[in-house]
Amino acid sequence: MIELKGIRKVFNPGTSSETVAINNLHLKLESGDFITVIGGNGAGKSTLLNIVSGSYEADEGLILLNNNDVSRLPEFKRAPYFGRVFQDPMMGTAGDMTVLENLSLAFRRGMRRSLFRWSCHSKDKEFFIEQLKTLDLGLENRLNEKVGLLSGGQRQALTLLMATIRNEPSHHMIRRDYIRFYDGDKKIAKEEFDKAFKEAKEEFKNKKAEIKSSSLSKEEKKVQLKEAFNEFDKKVRVFDLTKPVLLLDEHTAALDPKTAAKVLEITDEIVKKNNLTTIMITHNMKDAIKYGNRLIMMNKGNIIADINGKEKEKLTIEQLLEMFTKASNDMLSDSAILGN
Amino acid sequence: MLEYLSSIPGALCLALIWSIMAIGVFITFKVLNIADLTVDGSFATGGIVCVVVMAHGGHFALGLLLGFLAGLLCGLVTGLLYTCLGIPPILAGILTQLALWSINLKIAGSKANIAINARATPVLVSQLNIYNSLWILFLILIAVAGLLYLFFGTELGASIRATGNNPKMSKAQGINTKFNIVLGLMISNGLVALSGALLSQYQGFADINMGRGAIVIGLCAVVIGTAIFSKVSPNFLVRLLSVGVGSIIYYIVYQTVVFIGLDTDLLKMLAAVIVALFLGIPHLRKTIVPRIKKWKKNKELLKEENNL
Repeated sequence: MIELKGIRKVFNPGTSSETVAINNLHLKLESGDFITVIGGNGAGKSTLLNIVSGSYEADEGLILLNNNDVSRLPEFKRAPYFGRVFQDPMMGTAGDMTVLENLSLAFRRGMRRSLFRWSCHSKDKEFFIEQLKTLDLGLENRLNEKVGLLSGGQRQALTLLMATIRNEPSHHMIRRDYIRFYDGDKKIAKEEFDKAFKEAKEEFKNKKAEIKSSSLSKEEKKVQLKEAFNEFDKKVRVFDLTKPVLLLDEHTAALDPKTAAKVLEITDEIVKKNNLTTIMITHNMKDAIKYGNRLIMMNKGNIIADINGKEKEKLTIEQLLEMFTKASNDMLSDSAILGN
Repeated sequence: MLEYLSSIPGALCLALIWSIMAIGVFITFKVLNIADLTVDGSFATGGIVCVVVMAHGGHFALGLLLGFLAGLLCGLVTGLLYTCLGIPPILAGILTQLALWSINLKIAGSKANIAINARATPVLVSQLNIYNSLWILFLILIAVAGLLYLFFGTELGASIRATGNNPKMSKAQGINTKFNIVLGLMISNGLVALSGALLSQYQGFADINMGRGAIVIGLCAVVIGTAIFSKVSPNFLVRLLSVGVGSIIYYIVYQTVVFIGLDTDLLKMLAAVIVALFLGIPHLRKTIVPRIKKWKKNKELLKEENNL
């Protein structure tokens, strides 16, 4: 769950070109929400996303992730909790590095980057190939090619994958994030986790001893030990609170219509499969209505309409246009009208 | 001619020493995408620290090690000026370089140059024993390139490459770009100082002017190497070694030009022209050549239209 409280952002304060990009904005997303954001140019959509991800620092306001303020964390420390895809296909990947290297970088998001581990593991490679196959773009055969050689659509799909794949966090990280994002008293969170962890470990230890003293063959012992460890691991992973929130900043705007449709399809698939909380900015009203369970319209740095659930399912483009003109006397930007 | 040929091994030695410096430049210029001018200062720092250590009776290995560490510190200063104080990297490098001028003088005991007695003190490489030095320097180059290749294959190294390639993406992937930039600058200047230390051992003295224009020589080696090998293989190890080849080509050309009898006062200008050409030609190819093609085509179209 993510909540924005009283966000305000002013560009060039104190100069003649002072602009209020976001003004006292409140927004609350439940986990699993898929929000589409529309609005004219300069409405503050991109600024909002940049503030959430930490690219810009808000002048005022709180960003609560599971009731925990993250607004003071620098961008790179917020990265594990947010997956981002940018409008520019060049922006989300390192063009001089291979597909495999890019995925490996993304896979270790939020973890310490060690001097004593290779960046690409053959073990992870199989997982990457499997994931690339779901994109259905043939990228699984181009693992060792430089990303700069891929087309815009392929790069955007790859960025999408990079934004959503994540290595299983270590037990230490699960503990850290559980305490950081626990909704309530941190002490209780700490005790709760440590107690459960201790119990699970004790159980695993007992089982280990049991297996070792049994009269099974070496191979069988190995299999059983692994099973026991997996069970222990599973019990710890229950506490894993952080699933990345997906932030999409007009990620299909730079693509041709056919590729854009394909990338959107992939997006929807990934979001549904992982039940991700998502904020998607779009210029295309049809897409804004088609995807997601909630639609937000922005104007002059604030939310002017918030359409939810059933109401959104019945929404038509005409209604949306009418609402927009009613709420603001501004003209719609051309791209918003023409978006087919 | 014989004189020319006999000067080649010495030139190769210098080329190998400078190639280590050029690899340092490669790390900032090609990997981190920063033009770091600290190197003019840190090269001399490495040389002077090494000679001072040896003049005080230190082992040559200690001299090299301390020279390298001094280089790391130089890089640290530039990195902090850039990342923490927001000074543009080129200016940050110039500031450190300027400060290093005074620091180098102080380290050298307010003398413009200091010498070691190469016959009395054991050294790793020396002008007096060119063929041995050649082998040792070759091995050092291979070791440096190999170690860097391994380093840039680790998680940390890969994140440094990503930082230089696309800082925005790196931050979005949770990479601490500021830390990586500082680390990259440190490694780069460490290598540059190591190269300076080797040079001072080789020639038997260190001079506070020995680093002047070093950045241009380093860039020369990098751009020549890249121009030749960029089409051969994108492999990182090949790219690192290509810098060494670039350095060797530079020194052979240099030696040839000296042999032909060009005024040695013009050599620095020659180096600058080479760098300008190698950096400028790819840009011109992208901008001017298509324009000329278009102009020619348009001319033909106009002709056809007039004929109709």
